Amino acid sequence: MPNTINRVRCAGIGLALMLAASAPVAAADLGAKDEPIKLAMLEWTGAHVSTHIAGQLLEKLGYKVEYVTAGNFPQFSGLADGSLSASVEVWMNNVGDIYPKTLAAKQIEDIGKLDLKTREGWIYPKFMETVCPGLPDWTALNKPDCVKALSTPETAPNARFLDYPADWGSRAATIIADNNMPYTAVPSGSEGALVAELEAAEAAKTPLVMMFWGPHYALAENDVGWVTMPPCKEQTNEHCITPPDVDKIVWSGFGAKWPAAYAFLKAFKMDAGEQEKMMLAVDKKGEDLDAVVKAWIDKNEAVWKPWVDGAKG
Amino acid sequence: MTAPAAIAPSAQRFAIAPALVPWCGLGVLTALCLLLKTELPWLVNFPKEWTLPLASYINAVADVVVAVIQPGFRALSALLDAPMRGARLALAWLPWPAVMLAVAALALKSSGERLAIFALATLAYILLAGYWPQSMNTLALVLLAVPISTVLGFLLGVLGYARPRWRPVLNGALDLMQTVPAFAYLIPLLLLFGFGPVVGLIASAIYATPPMVRNTMLGLERVPAAISEAGLMSGCTRRQQFWQVEVPTALPQLLVGFNQTTMAALSMVIVAAIIGGFEDIGWEVLSSMRKAEFGQSILSGLVIALLAILIDRLTIGFAKAPDTGPTRAMRWMTPRRLALSLAIALALAVVIRLAAPDATLLPETGLREQMGAVNQWLLGLVRDYAWFFNGVRNAVLYCLLLPMRVGISGSATPAMWGFSLPPSALAVYVVLVLALAVLAARRLGWRAAVAILAAGLVLYTGFLDLPWPVFILAVALLAGQVGGSRLGLFAVAGFGLILVNGLWPQLVQSLYLCTLAVLLCLLVGGALGVWAAHSERVSRALKPICDALQTMPQFVFLIPALMFFKVGEFTALIAITLYAIVPPIRYVEHGLRHVRADVVEAVEQMGATPLQTLLQAKLPLALPVVMLGLNQTIMAALSMLAIAALVGTRDLGQAVYVALGKADAGMGLIAGLSIAFLAILADRLIQAAVARSAAASR
Repeated sequence: MPNTINRVRCAGIGLALMLAASAPVAAADLGAKDEPIKLAMLEWTGAHVSTHIAGQLLEKLGYKVEYVTAGNFPQFSGLADGSLSASVEVWMNNVGDIYPKTLAAKQIEDIGKLDLKTREGWIYPKFMETVCPGLPDWTALNKPDCVKALSTPETAPNARFLDYPADWGSRAATIIADNNMPYTAVPSGSEGALVAELEAAEAAKTPLVMMFWGPHYALAENDVGWVTMPPCKEQTNEHCITPPDVDKIVWSGFGAKWPAAYAFLKAFKMDAGEQEKMMLAVDKKGEDLDAVVKAWIDKNEAVWKPWVDGAKG
Repeated sequence: MTAPAAIAPSAQRFAIAPALVPWCGLGVLTALCLLLKTELPWLVNFPKEWTLPLASYINAVADVVVAVIQPGFRALSALLDAPMRGARLALAWLPWPAVMLAVAALALKSSGERLAIFALATLAYILLAGYWPQSMNTLALVLLAVPISTVLGFLLGVLGYARPRWRPVLNGALDLMQTVPAFAYLIPLLLLFGFGPVVGLIASAIYATPPMVRNTMLGLERVPAAISEAGLMSGCTRRQQFWQVEVPTALPQLLVGFNQTTMAALSMVIVAAIIGGFEDIGWEVLSSMRKAEFGQSILSGLVIALLAILIDRLTIGFAKAPDTGPTRAMRWMTPRRLALSLAIALALAVVIRLAAPDATLLPETGLREQMGAVNQWLLGLVRDYAWFFNGVRNAVLYCLLLPMRVGISGSATPAMWGFSLPPSALAVYVVLVLALAVLAARRLGWRAAVAILAAGLVLYTGFLDLPWPVFILAVALLAGQVGGSRLGLFAVAGFGLILVNGLWPQLVQSLYLCTLAVLLCLLVGGALGVWAAHSERVSRALKPICDALQTMPQFVFLIPALMFFKVGEFTALIAITLYAIVPPIRYVEHGLRHVRADVVEAVEQMGATPLQTLLQAKLPLALPVVMLGLNQTIMAALSMLAIAALVGTRDLGQAVYVALGKADAGMGLIAGLSIAFLAILADRLIQAAVARSAAASR
């Protein structure tokens, strides 16, 4: 008997899998193609690039697309009630407490990774290697001369470490404590503050060690090194820095309303190197975002053709 | 006039004033606390175990309440969304030549040809800088928020006028609406109204309503009795009396309220942009701040500043006629000609849209990209003058900020100042403070002596190490003696709330930053104000600077301050000071310029030097106005706390900001209310002090 039950169960699972697999095929249907899909335009240029690529490809599929600016946390309220349809570049290390709430309430759906190769860690301007010989190894930061160079009146006798803004959480302070480093983590308040400090340090050649992430256009402009981190005390998010995941999040009613778009977004990926090039073109060379994205789409049909074809079924 | 009070009869000098007794008690308590500090650390650091999780209670209650009332608010949101969309579409549809023509005609009618030229220049700037569509979106928000606030404010003002008993509640609500930072209630608004530009609209309306209410009440109260009696005698019904006699008489004041409401709505544009929902000029400013692009942030910030000045002058022009009477241009622009111009503008718009339905007609100047040069210039300054900026920063940190924070006792360590003070030096310090206090007691009365003792204590322990029971009792005592026992209770309740919520360290940080900023503003701003009062040229040079400092989004100043002085308290201090320095400049200048000329002349006749005239005649006479300026300075400094959080402070503003980031509605509200409490307490204290001194000099 147990065997039969098992077999029935297997058959059931098989059937479910088959249905799941065939869902995209049935999704050849465009759905409500006259109602615009509202894509969240987040604050940073990288997200603008990803969003516009997704948007232009959705237009190729036959949809109308609207770009709606949204704050990083407020966007989840918008996604939860459908006033935003999708957000294609959500950094999972910075989603606040509102994300798990709306996810648990099944108001939003995580449709997988964007496959953006990310990096996070401690960086320093390259000239620091003469100030603290031995970099990028983390032990170089503990040498008295290095500590002295990085010390400021507010943190003395400790050295100053520029941390993420307080509302992004502070792992750096924990890691500093784990390794007994003579450093004080100073929260920076905003992304603009981090970038401003990096640029000012580069200009005036003042010593600086700070928390940062990539892809980021500031990395394309400034020559930085990444600290080889000390071993983690525990393999948890508090004690360890791991490259953050970047996911695509949609409103829970998205799949039913726009089936083909849903299948396309599931397949949609973004390459970090390509994104960084486009960011630089937009931010620093002052080129038009739409034009830069269009040029990329025209040149890289081989990359996106499978996503679009898969969605058409 | 106050001289006899200062030279008290010698017998009274040694008698203890009854009000002094509690201060003596407090002194004993302070000494006890300081002695027991090491044994009982909870005297300085309020223990975590004693805090109440009020924020999570609020969140739990809010979850339930929001679920119940959400549908109603969502319906309201949908209702507001339609006109918002309409206004945006209409403004986007209007081609820029038509907008320019209409605005220029309005400006000509409002205040003549100079404003018309300014309006054209402003719009041309927006066009060339490439922010036309964003500016139109911003205008749509303001165009909708202003009527809502005006109507709501008028109704509430009438209510307050007709039902004086409700006035205290109404005034309290207005104070909260103006002092709780908008960041604090964005999350609850977001939960109630849903994502979208409507949240920004509501936030703007909340902040922009109070001026209209206050001015409505003021205007209706000031209707001269003779006029309302004339109305009654000619047999007006209540309704006729109100609409045909009282409202027209109060109209100038109502229009002043309208002007202030418009400005307030415009100043909330940036906060609205934090939510997002549509691409407006606030979003552009925030983006440039995020990228630390100083050039672009000036470019987009200037749009807001120019729009604010333009709207201000336009509405002021309609609110009151110039003293010299209407200019020729204003007389030429009759209502008929104005209507005709607007019709022509509309016709022009239709023609353009028919001829070229899809053309944006916006010029591509690339001005925005060229602003990169400004960044390079700024970085060049950072590179060449790093030694100077570092020197300034370290000097202020070592000599002012750190001693204020950790006190002389904390600063005089080998790590900080490079030496520690021997006990003999401490004894000298104590003797010095005591001597000063005795001197003050003899010359100025015991109040000055208590103030000096308190300052000496804070300077010794620093803000951070001050025992909280002493601090709360001292402020409560002060409030009770100056403003009555209710104000004292209010102070205890407010500080108690902050304490049990575990926000004491943040409160101390806020107090210390704001106190320093206010002192700096009073010193520097006061000096500038005095200078401006005595020199036309300085006055004229300062005016546009003050206008820019007040109307530019404060975010713009954060970028250079960050590059020069790095993340930290000093940068926050600079940012707060830059914004809060305007009221002392303006009020001191205004106060000094309007001192009664006959008194000044009399003093000069008696042979006083200019300095004596200033210090002993003009400043004392201008004191009420200067105190009003102090009040405004404190409000401005507190309102900057939430924005200074972006440069990495650890104060109440940061608590609000972190709560916003974590979507923690309860913590955001409590931290926001704490800031509002400080503002209201300071306001009441100063008002009571002014009233007392006015009563004393009478």
